[in-house]
Amino acid sequence: MSQDIQNYLKKTSLFKSLSDDMLNALAQNTTTRKLAPGDVLMRKGEIADSLFIINEGWVKIVTEDKKGDELIINKCGPGEIIGEMALLDSGPRSATVIAIENSEALELKQEAFQDLLDKNPNVSLSIIRSYSNRLRFSTKYIERAIDWSQKIAEGDYSFIDQTQQISKNAETDDDKATQLLSAFFTMVRRVKEREDGLKQQLEQLTFEIDQSRRKQEFEEITSTEFYAKLKEQAKNLRDKRAQQ
Amino acid sequence: MNKGKIVSIHSFRGGTGKSNTTANLAAQAALAGKRVGVVDTDIQSPGIHVLFGLDETKMGKTINDFLHGKATIREIGFPIGENTGGAEGRAKLAGKNLWLFPSSIRGREISQIIKEGVDFNRLNEGLQTTISEFDLDYLFIDTHPGLNEETLLSIATSDILLIILRPDNQDLQGTSVTIDIARSLDVPNLMLMVNKALPKYDFAQIKTDIEEKFHASVAGVLPLTFDLADNASNDLFSLRYPDHEWSKALRGVAEAILAVK
Ligand SMILES: Nc1ncnc2c1ncn2[C@@H]1O[C@H](COP(=O)(O)OP(=O)(O)OP(=O)(O)O)[C@@H](O)[C@H]1O
Ligand SMILES: [Mg+2]
Repeated sequence: MSQDIQNYLKKTSLFKSLSDDMLNALAQNTTTRKLAPGDVLMRKGEIADSLFIINEGWVKIVTEDKKGDELIINKCGPGEIIGEMALLDSGPRSATVIAIENSEALELKQEAFQDLLDKNPNVSLSIIRSYSNRLRFSTKYIERAIDWSQKIAEGDYSFIDQTQQISKNAETDDDKATQLLSAFFTMVRRVKEREDGLKQQLEQLTFEIDQSRRKQEFEEITSTEFYAKLKEQAKNLRDKRAQQ
Repeated sequence: MNKGKIVSIHSFRGGTGKSNTTANLAAQAALAGKRVGVVDTDIQSPGIHVLFGLDETKMGKTINDFLHGKATIREIGFPIGENTGGAEGRAKLAGKNLWLFPSSIRGREISQIIKEGVDFNRLNEGLQTTISEFDLDYLFIDTHPGLNEETLLSIATSDILLIILRPDNQDLQGTSVTIDIARSLDVPNLMLMVNKALPKYDFAQIKTDIEEKFHASVAGVLPLTFDLADNASNDLFSLRYPDHEWSKALRGVAEAILAVK
């Protein structure tokens, strides 16, 4: 049992760099929480005193929109860690977590987590390292996404071809930033298709003017006495206005 | 000396959108803080006054009365900014400097005017008095379609002539003659506006092709839209629906007019 837990811990991005001894120590300190669909694992705003590692099943991370309706921010499954942020910064829970199906989560209490950090400075370091990696990853993609968004705004879609790779990887890579980007590119591709479609639909008009008819009609109007007088008066008026 | 500009709106065929365009351009100019007058040349049929929320019964004396010495120009100007009524778009004109000047220079009356010697100079004087009495920056004239004498008078006195056309050969043919006339009468600023363009056409192409054919600038290409045709409340469309494509293009035309030195 403890070995199973240890194996789970090793799969998580946060603990994957720990030695087997450390993982073992951690595994000893976890307790298992069983969840039925709809069970609340943590509630937004609560004071946090533990983190969870999803062991089995899927949970949804939700918040409320302005109308009070549930808004799903993310879904988490086996191997993923939830709630560690609050342990590190001592803030309240930032979202509510609800089980989607029969699930199991490993709970690691704050003291055990803290203990681990105190006894193993290396753990703190590896946590910091994994955080900065994640941060760098996010920042890099945020920067790229900003860059791409600007290009879209300018109607330049050329970058899509370079991004096929990332979209494909999203199938296997569970990092949410990558999944978000994948959705982003699907959207961009659809927008571009629609835009191309619209462009193609635009029809061209051809204009023809019958120049001899134009000349004839002009002469008909301008050959009257009325017109001759008007033209002279208009000219006087323009000259007068120009002098003013 | 008058600095106010006379802006005539004309089209070869009827129903091209002159009245809607004139009312909306005048409203946009007033919104931009300009002092604006609009000459309504057609109070008998639903035209510009309806878009400003007035009917014939509310309007008393006309420019004709002024031309015949039966009224002062002060009595004729109807202040829209003080009578915006309930409509959502028009309400934005509250407190703005915008006056409507009803007139009925058409049909039998034009021959009467000419017979009585109200010629170009008197008409021009009347318009100039209107401009100076109300200290107007712009006086918009919604003319009648075609090139009858009354329209020729109006073109001859204009500082800016805006010709509206639909993007078809019949309108282009008619417009070509009007352009030649405007140039023959030395109208200093000539602009075109395309209205009722089907959205399936390439508006940029329409603009460049027509500019090339006439060597005149196309200040805007406005779409055919049921939203405008459907404007049941007879409100000022560009004020009521400022984000609509028609309104955006119309504002472009207004800007082109206001940019004329
Ligand atoms: N872009 C447009 N799309 C759809 N309908 C339009 C558009 N522009 C004008 N219309 C409609 O066309 C009709 C004629 O418009 P309007 O009265 O402004 O034209 P006009 O040139 O002044 O006509 P007239 O020559 O009869 O005085 C109106 O019903 C108006 O709502
Ligand atoms: Mg009209």
